[in-house]
Amino acid sequence: MADHLPYQSIHQEIPSRSSVFAVCFCFLFSIAPHFLTLPLWVIAFVLIALGWRGLQNLDKVRELPGWLLIPLVLFGGIGVFAEYWTIVGRDAGLALLTVMTSLKFLESRRHRDMLILVFLCYFLIATHFLYSQSIFTAALMFATLIVITTTLVTLNQRDDSSSLKDRFGVASRLVVMSIPLMLILFVLVPRVPGPLWGLPNEQRGGITGLSDSMSPGQISNLIRNNEVAFRVDFEGDIPAQNQLYWRGPVLALFDGYRWSQAPRKRLDILSLTTYDEPTRYTVTLEPNGERWLLALDVPTKLADESMMTEDFQLLSNKKINDLLRYEMESRLLYRVGIIESDDYLNLTRSYPPELNPKTIAFGKSLAQQYEDPQEIVQHVLTMYRDQEFVYTLQPPVLTGNVFDKFLFSSRRGFCELYAGSFALLMRAAGIPARIVTGYQGGEFNRIGNYLIVRQSDAHAWTEVWIRERGWMRVDPTAAVSPSRIERGLDSALSEGNSSFRIQNRNPIFSNLLYSWDNLQHSWNDWVLDYDQRRQMDFLSRLDLGIDSWADMVFTMVILLSAVSGIFWLGVWYRERPPRPEIYEIHFKRLLKKLARRGLEIKPAEDTRAFLKRARRDNFSQSDQLANIVDLYNRIKYGRQGASELSLNNLRTMINTIQ
Amino acid sequence: MVSLAPSKFFRRRIDRWVDAHNPPSKDSILLLNRRLYILPTRFGYLFAIMLLFLFLAAINYQNSMAFVLTFMLTSLAIISLWYTHKNLLGVSIKLQIPRPVFCGQACEFKFEISHPNSASRYAIGIQYVQETPVYLKLDPQQSTEASLKIRSRRRGQFKPQGITIFTRYPTGLFHAWGWLKYDLPVLIYPHPENDIKLQQSMVEQFDGKTSTSTIEGDDFAGLREHRQGESLRHISWKAYARGQGLLTKTFQGQARPSLWIDWDQIEENSIERRLSFMTALVLAAENEEQKYGLKLPGIIIEQSFGNAHKHACLQALAVFRQDDLNQPFNLDESG
Repeated sequence: MADHLPYQSIHQEIPSRSSVFAVCFCFLFSIAPHFLTLPLWVIAFVLIALGWRGLQNLDKVRELPGWLLIPLVLFGGIGVFAEYWTIVGRDAGLALLTVMTSLKFLESRRHRDMLILVFLCYFLIATHFLYSQSIFTAALMFATLIVITTTLVTLNQRDDSSSLKDRFGVASRLVVMSIPLMLILFVLVPRVPGPLWGLPNEQRGGITGLSDSMSPGQISNLIRNNEVAFRVDFEGDIPAQNQLYWRGPVLALFDGYRWSQAPRKRLDILSLTTYDEPTRYTVTLEPNGERWLLALDVPTKLADESMMTEDFQLLSNKKINDLLRYEMESRLLYRVGIIESDDYLNLTRSYPPELNPKTIAFGKSLAQQYEDPQEIVQHVLTMYRDQEFVYTLQPPVLTGNVFDKFLFSSRRGFCELYAGSFALLMRAAGIPARIVTGYQGGEFNRIGNYLIVRQSDAHAWTEVWIRERGWMRVDPTAAVSPSRIERGLDSALSEGNSSFRIQNRNPIFSNLLYSWDNLQHSWNDWVLDYDQRRQMDFLSRLDLGIDSWADMVFTMVILLSAVSGIFWLGVWYRERPPRPEIYEIHFKRLLKKLARRGLEIKPAEDTRAFLKRARRDNFSQSDQLANIVDLYNRIKYGRQGASELSLNNLRTMINTIQ
Repeated sequence: MVSLAPSKFFRRRIDRWVDAHNPPSKDSILLLNRRLYILPTRFGYLFAIMLLFLFLAAINYQNSMAFVLTFMLTSLAIISLWYTHKNLLGVSIKLQIPRPVFCGQACEFKFEISHPNSASRYAIGIQYVQETPVYLKLDPQQSTEASLKIRSRRRGQFKPQGITIFTRYPTGLFHAWGWLKYDLPVLIYPHPENDIKLQQSMVEQFDGKTSTSTIEGDDFAGLREHRQGESLRHISWKAYARGQGLLTKTFQGQARPSLWIDWDQIEENSIERRLSFMTALVLAAENEEQKYGLKLPGIIIEQSFGNAHKHACLQALAVFRQDDLNQPFNLDESG
């Protein structure tokens, strides 16, 4: 009985030497970018396993006995657990997958094992996207796809008949031809809002950004980082630079050196007095590994799955480990927090009395000097402005009573020292004060019409609470260095730092950089943020009447078939068989006619024998037939070949046969 | 892995459908859409399962690039479906008339494979059921020869069912194949039984039946050591019985006696063994350039000799009492 199933024996074949090397290389290529994050022993594990498999392939070493694999598997599993104290989650999961794949190499013998390894490599590509989804990573994915597919082709070619170049060509063609289909699927496969099962709310290391506390030197370290923190598209005009205070963690606890967050409850109703129209914008926030959602001071709207605390900070419900996009609304001129609990006001007036005695004494003296808290604020700001305070990224390192030393001797510092000393002075003077960290300003991308806020725009300012006025923002840095607030960090620092902003470069170069940033922004916007809502938005904007899942699937099937059809036509055209000669077409027509009259040419019968048989069978037009066959043979084999005239003759003669 | 074999009922229906669409061909089979089949391999299914996992992970993590990867791999699978199909499309396979063999020997099927297009075709395999396939590469617009050896297991006319031409190139996710069914049966002669005991009884039979035929020359010349390949008929069995080993009687002059290889004269119960024995006799007689005839129940082939005569005799033996010549070669029995 014919077997209608693919045959199993093929999987049992032994792969060729070169294809084993190809699979080893393919795995190394897929895993290599992870070498930056994987623990060293895992990397060693991979290299040793691959090395052993390579030597085994060259018959230099023997295959490891099967029983040895069990302790190796245990070693790998326990090793990963010892490293991370878990075996799930992004980092531990990746390490485990890597170790186990390496072990699979050691027991891979047959074609089947090689194919499974190649599939694991395909799967490994996905792990890169848990770390980064940038354009660069996407480009790497395409390169890796081609490498893995080349390996797959190598495995399936069965002998070494095609060159590496050919296989690479076939693989590239496969991958490139996949792109149009992929786009159709990407746009039209109905998206489901996730997650389907609980995601571990992991702590992820290695992300730079704001911190939940502030000690001198912390922000000035962050400032040196030129990474993008978030990008903002405004609905209307972009507000003035000195209005762009992006509110982050609010720090109310003070231990004499470090400022940190006080536990605060969820705010249910925000009551504020406002004087202006709301500013509307969309923030595309890079992952910060925390729950903080940055928004202009003061936000008057919640993003999805978020809340506002009593100190007006927006918090997401889960850690932001992936790019996040949210629409936001703020009022820039406001009075807020007029009603505040006594407990909190007491907390924001407290300080450890034994540290920074000079500062505290100075604050107390101010309280006796003035009655109106606003005058105290003015006095201190004037002091920063008029005395010889310097705004610098490289202040002298201070220890002990840091704020005393800063205010009364060094007088050189960065925003955290100004904000810290100011808040402490206020508290000493009996005015509730707290630190707000976040970002200030941002760079306008004139190519894409949006604002880029970088880590280097990190900033710290203060808020003081004044009766009937509520929490009021006071930025001491603005007093000492107005240009930092008006025009950004670059213009405030004259210390020959490398430029942080694109606008300060040569114009051609800066346009290029703006375009590149714009590309990244569009990438974030269109690729990374393409979720269910965006999909519906996009499809309804196309105005094709696609507004349900059924429509989407239907359109998808039609488009896929259309693209398939086009490909098929292309393939068919490129590989079509050579056209039959015209005389052959005529002759075939003749044979068909004869067949209808019961005279069929037999396979392997030549024309002469056929003619003879026709005569013998008393075929009525056998003379006519003889002429036709003669002409046909002359055209086909004769020196003259096919001419217009002879072909016409042939046709007319064939027409006479009934 | 899970067995994907369809139930017997469906299996039979599929078989019937396939047979209806794949009539055996006289000489050449052209693989066009109607004769070309394609299904995912088990690795294709595994790939699909992996894609499902990736898709679920992408949804769960709402990771756009994971979606891109999933869709990219899905598209890759779709494209490779076309590629694999295309790799066999338009290939034509001609079977050269196969030569008869003795049962137990491998019969060789020689195929001439060609395709008219301008691209090379890679990793095309020809396989007989579960046996190791033969792989070849087809150069553009040329014909390539492939030979597939199948061990014969039963005498008779052998029309192998289940030779396929297939390919999994380039990704191994799909298995495209066409059935190579030809109306060109191979004749499988019975296995010649060269058992010494049988040979001895055979000689004795000759002795009794044609008394002159044992003496091929005129004068007995003596005994010499038996050489391998020499007809056993010349062995001096008396000497053998005396324990002198195998010695060949030599004569001077050559006589050409004639003999009948007669079914009824052979003392053997099993039909197959009888036929094997007779086959050996035919070969021996032909080897001696002796006139011989064949008597089977209902069939008599007159005495003659020469290659054509030998083949006629062997054919008669091969197809003897094979009631249904069109019955396909049964695999399950041959296991």
